[in-house]
Amino acid sequence: MRLSFLLPLLIVLPLLTAFLIPLIDILAIALRKILVIISISLELVFSLSLLFYFSPLGKEKLPISYYLGGWEPPLGISLSLNHLGLIFSMLVSVSLFLITLYSLEYIEHHEGKYYVLLFVVLGAMQGVVLTNDLFNLYVFIELLTVASTPLVAFDRTSSAIEAGIKYIVYGLLGGLFFFIGIVLIYLSLGTLSLAEIALSFSSLPIPFQETVLIFFIISLTIKLGIFPFHFWLAKAHSSAPAPISALLSGVMLKLYLCVFLRLFWVVLDFPLMEASWLKSFVLYLALGSSLLGHLFAFQEEDLKRLLAFSSVGHIGIIVAVLLVNTPEALYGGMLHIINHLIMKSALFLDSGYFLQFTKSHLIKDLKGVFHYNRYLFASFVIVVLAMIGIPPLNGFFSKWYMLLAFVEEGIHLGGIVVILGSLLAIPYYFRVISYGISPCEEKPVVSLSQDPPPASLMIFTILALVVLTVVTGIFYFCLNPILDGAVQELLPLQIYPPFPGGS
Amino acid sequence: MKIFLLLVLFSGIGFLLIDNLRFLSNSGFSLGAATHYYVTQGFEQTGALNLVSSILYDFRAFDSLGESTVIFAAVSGIVSLLSRKTLPVSSHGLSIIVKRIFGILTPFLFVSGIYLILHGHLSPGGGFQGGVILGTISIVFCIVYGSSFDYTRYSPQSKTILEVSGALLFLAMGIIGIFLEGFFLANWFSSPERLGKLLTPGSIFGINLGVGIKIGAGLSIIFYSIIQKRIEGK
Repeated sequence: MRLSFLLPLLIVLPLLTAFLIPLIDILAIALRKILVIISISLELVFSLSLLFYFSPLGKEKLPISYYLGGWEPPLGISLSLNHLGLIFSMLVSVSLFLITLYSLEYIEHHEGKYYVLLFVVLGAMQGVVLTNDLFNLYVFIELLTVASTPLVAFDRTSSAIEAGIKYIVYGLLGGLFFFIGIVLIYLSLGTLSLAEIALSFSSLPIPFQETVLIFFIISLTIKLGIFPFHFWLAKAHSSAPAPISALLSGVMLKLYLCVFLRLFWVVLDFPLMEASWLKSFVLYLALGSSLLGHLFAFQEEDLKRLLAFSSVGHIGIIVAVLLVNTPEALYGGMLHIINHLIMKSALFLDSGYFLQFTKSHLIKDLKGVFHYNRYLFASFVIVVLAMIGIPPLNGFFSKWYMLLAFVEEGIHLGGIVVILGSLLAIPYYFRVISYGISPCEEKPVVSLSQDPPPASLMIFTILALVVLTVVTGIFYFCLNPILDGAVQELLPLQIYPPFPGGS
Repeated sequence: MKIFLLLVLFSGIGFLLIDNLRFLSNSGFSLGAATHYYVTQGFEQTGALNLVSSILYDFRAFDSLGESTVIFAAVSGIVSLLSRKTLPVSSHGLSIIVKRIFGILTPFLFVSGIYLILHGHLSPGGGFQGGVILGTISIVFCIVYGSSFDYTRYSPQSKTILEVSGALLFLAMGIIGIFLEGFFLANWFSSPERLGKLLTPGSIFGINLGVGIKIGAGLSIIFYSIIQKRIEGK
């Protein structure tokens, strides 16, 4: 496999860039922008070349792996790529490419450190997706938490600092439970390689297996912001700068979903989880969390907190639908992961553009922002329609498949939550839109004569995301070959029936 | 109410852990094939007499890259959140007796830090531990000789350059491994037959050095960012 050298490159290139930026800052500060653009473009090219070679269209076959240092597992750490990893690796590099372009015009202070941290986050994200070793996974999750905390508190206001402290405390608490799970596995099996754990995990006594599952479930519940631990999420996602909100809410939550899928379906024993009370407990917890997220969003007065609570709602429904564990459910869940990433990033970046002009983040201060840039506001409306689930846009198809999956398995509560979520979303998003297009009586807070910051890149990234929203809506079946491959990897082969979503 | 819920949660978790650790100690801890290989073949394969070093910087060197990047990210984060560009007016430090004694002691501290880094593959120690000792030296300077002593002699820029060069040295060792051995972070130039010489372990030596420089400079940067102070009224 000659192409497998791309796997370490995807992780090392962002880290190398992060190490070089402080040096460039001292030597020649003007070159920093060029370095950032070159590096993020290279990352995008490498990641897309993976798609070119390994998707069902290409010649090479997945999965591939790369042994770091030449040590085969269990001696050393290996990286591996399968269809699931391919999807997430591409999602990460595409969205980080757009977010970085947006940041080039949005971030105005401490730019050097900002890009250092952003590239460390990018490297850690690729690491989480690609690694095939449990402890290495933990290292990258911690790296993600540590590197994103200063980004959350980047505005240095007291509320941002408070959000940052909450974020790191809950992030580390989640990491702690993850670590205890790893310790239990290593003490009993003597190996850290995910493939080896998958082979021998079911030989352990059942109460012990359940304990390990409980620790990983608590850890991921905290990281994903599901019901009892949802409060840190809204605070962190709303006080960060707009590109970081998009990063946290759009990309990072999906990454923990990737960890969730890989751990519970591929590595740990899913049949055991299905047989015990754990599965239905987590499923109904996630459904309740989804409903609560939408209700909180409904009564929220602050635009960014509204978007963050809407993320709680969507993550809850995705976790619930994945746990249904039928091909349709996994397909619908993964489709919604992709769509929600695109839509939520677009909404946060779009609102970041408009909130530059307003006094505060409150919805009632949005009066008249429509007039600053009508095309962008129209794009905001399009993404909101997709979020609610209006047919030709992408949100509709994933919600439709999730609904079907719930109903077919007889979990009617799930179907009700999907519909209620959409119904609740209509009033809370339309309140934002109606304030946006209503004429403002007084003068705008930031007068237009004071020239607004240059924003061509910001507008470009937002429009690119809106185009993606429409394209993945109309041509959602183009994703089927890859999603199909990913679903096959997650399900044991013998219970795999013909596929529902076409292809 | 919250406290009660937390108590229930944590006591449940504690009970689970105790219950399962009892199972583990009854059935015996499992030492996998990897552990056996590390203990029996570790030195022949890597040239590092200190097996901890051979695991940290050769078998699982990628983990160490991640861990040292955690510290790098923490340094960047703390600097970006706390940097205020002004130091508090220097205190005059401690009394002349302490100053004289630390004048004598500091070179020894420095030597022991460097020794731990350079001999990390032969004896207990390594880049992380030695780097921390090097980082302490600049903290000692601040406490004993006053806060401006270190700051005026070694600028933050030079520390940043040191930190970054340590990180780049780590990556360079990995990338040279691609060209010589065909794998990222592969151990090149390891020669266990020269047992007792300094340069037996190939790239482990370089990685130790890189991590040591990076950690030392990074800790010093963190310390001086934390003691910086905003001038009143600005």
